[in-house]
Amino acid sequence: MEFWTRTIIDNSGPLLDGFRITVSVSIIAFVVAAAAGLIISLARIYAPPLRPLLSAYIAFCRNTPIFVQLLWVAYAWYDIFTWPKDVFTAAWVALALQSSGYLAETFHAGFDSVPHGQVEAAEALGMSRFTALRRIVAPQMLLTMAPAFMNQFIVIVKCSTLVSVIAVPDLMFQAIRLTNIWGEPVPILTFVAIIFIIMIMSLSALSKSLTDRLRLRMAR
Amino acid sequence: MNTTLTAVEGERPCDTMGADPSVAIRVVGLKKSFGDVAVLHGISFDLPRGQVLSIIGASGSGKSTLLRCLNYLERPSAGAIWIAGHQLTFDANGEGARHSLSAAQIARVRAEVGMVFQQFNLWPHMTVVQNVMEALIQVRKLNSKEARNRAEHYLAKVNMLDAAARYPARLSGGQQQRVAIARALAMEPQIMLFDEATSSLDPELTAEVLAVMRLLARDGTTMVVVTHEMAFAREVSDRVMFLHDGLIEEDGVPSVVFSNPGSNRCRQFLSKFLG
Amino acid sequence: MFDLSLFWEYRAILLQGMLINLLIFALSSTLGLTIGLIACVGRLSSFAPLRAASAGYIEIGRSIPEFVLLIWINNVLPFALSTMLGERIHFSPILSATLALGVVASGYFAETFRAGIQAVPRGHLEAARALGMRTPRILGRIVLPQAIRLMLPELMSQNIGLLKTTTLVSVIAVPDIMYQVGIIGQQEMKPLPLYTGTAFAFFLVILALTTLVHHTHGHLRRS
Repeated sequence: MEFWTRTIIDNSGPLLDGFRITVSVSIIAFVVAAAAGLIISLARIYAPPLRPLLSAYIAFCRNTPIFVQLLWVAYAWYDIFTWPKDVFTAAWVALALQSSGYLAETFHAGFDSVPHGQVEAAEALGMSRFTALRRIVAPQMLLTMAPAFMNQFIVIVKCSTLVSVIAVPDLMFQAIRLTNIWGEPVPILTFVAIIFIIMIMSLSALSKSLTDRLRLRMAR
Repeated sequence: MNTTLTAVEGERPCDTMGADPSVAIRVVGLKKSFGDVAVLHGISFDLPRGQVLSIIGASGSGKSTLLRCLNYLERPSAGAIWIAGHQLTFDANGEGARHSLSAAQIARVRAEVGMVFQQFNLWPHMTVVQNVMEALIQVRKLNSKEARNRAEHYLAKVNMLDAAARYPARLSGGQQQRVAIARALAMEPQIMLFDEATSSLDPELTAEVLAVMRLLARDGTTMVVVTHEMAFAREVSDRVMFLHDGLIEEDGVPSVVFSNPGSNRCRQFLSKFLG
Repeated sequence: MFDLSLFWEYRAILLQGMLINLLIFALSSTLGLTIGLIACVGRLSSFAPLRAASAGYIEIGRSIPEFVLLIWINNVLPFALSTMLGERIHFSPILSATLALGVVASGYFAETFRAGIQAVPRGHLEAARALGMRTPRILGRIVLPQAIRLMLPELMSQNIGLLKTTTLVSVIAVPDIMYQVGIIGQQEMKPLPLYTGTAFAFFLVILALTTLVHHTHGHLRRS
């Protein structure tokens, strides 16, 4: 046990760096995916001619394995687009690509989730349509979509472990690298595995409590 | 308060509205079609201030459509409406309503006309008191404190003050509808419209909502009530209108309409309810 | 630029790789379903410690990223077992892959089994009891058929997800399609057509499977 603790503490520097990279690549990918998802779902409503293309895009994002997308973005895109130029960018681009499809569908469901009668009630009281959208529709949409967003973030964090394969120095990369250097796989890899388990379990617990509170509030 | 609007070609300009404050609603030649389907074929009536008008009729007779035209939730195809001191005018030839009111003007009319819906339509992400306060803040421009005071006053009036901090999802149908009534009342509108306010409720819960409506009627509120509750219509209304196929077939005081209607269809319709 | 002829040229090797993916899928799915079933039964049992242990296992299975478990099983487990048992233990890459993907899948499968069983309306059980039927018969004739019908769509979706996940195994040198693509890409110095081709090949295959599942779902719902 003491040996384990010593090994981990000695290597805490690189491990912490790796953790930071894991967190940042996940957050950036999530934000970009959410923005892309919003734009896509709005485009599906307001730009009908684009619909087949957007549906194809969403289908592609959701049905292609993340690992394949990752390698494709990292190794093939540069030849086509001369971008991304570094592996960190390739990492969050691929992760965002995968999630943008799911989040576009989430927004779509969110738009549909608020019954029109509530907007009518607001307008019947003299509110403008814009005020009704701002005060009545948007808040409910955000509340309804929150669990799905939370879950997608969890998916991104889990998938972020793959980016070590394209040499992004995330937590897994550091763990594997240190194992190769010191030849002691057991403490380091086990420790990192436990960290991931704790991370994901915490996020899942948060998501569940969010969902429960929502169901309490919004049950129709 | 009068908004000057272009008079509709072919109709006599009626400005008696402006001169006669005792008329709460005036409807002249109101027609409404949804695409090819004509629902209202020409409705005309005056409703004096402080009166309670019940509109009865079979499903599809156009009752709800008529009501929803009064606060412009449906755009009339033709005809004229004067309501709460405002004039809503439309093209006479029914080519989709080319209304002359801006969105802001419509909002102003609606602020004077309260509506209670069959589906309550409370906003689930806000508490009861927030539901009542919202329009007071956004439309009447009250500050938070004034809005809360007024909201609590009207919640007390419908006996829902205890539930002020609860969310609509935790309330029964009857409770939700009473909150919806408070929400509409808090705007202190000149006229209250009820669109089958009790039709979604279980029978035990209907009574509590009807009690509130009776209270309002007794207080002299101008009300238009679309309803299937014949007992309520007979006991509380000053006037009853029987609609059939988008036209008024019977229009008079309850005692006449319910015991001795001129129209056969009305007689048949009522026999189903009153045995 | 989009010269996919390279993809076509190596189709034999790539197909072989794909077969390995299918093999891993079949193995890990079987393992996952088996463990998942056991975990589900444990989860629903009335024996509290078993219930807690099963719930814990399921929670961990669902929380650990597949890649992390894959690396851990491949690098740590044989090492740890060797030290404990005093023998040289070595896991073949295929074994590691099967275990890792199977364990994670078992967590998801277990929850689907549980949801399916619990979704059978209580009333059906009570009606059967009221008619005098006894528990094992009730389970077999009333609960299970309905539960299976309820869980099939989700199970199929999860299996498609598992198929997608088999693409990971190249990192521990399992000669699957991604592994082959990597080698060919290095040899030919032309990654673009290969990776693009693979991406679209997977897209079409998974899309076809997903559409199939949706149709079956529709059938199941209607019957």
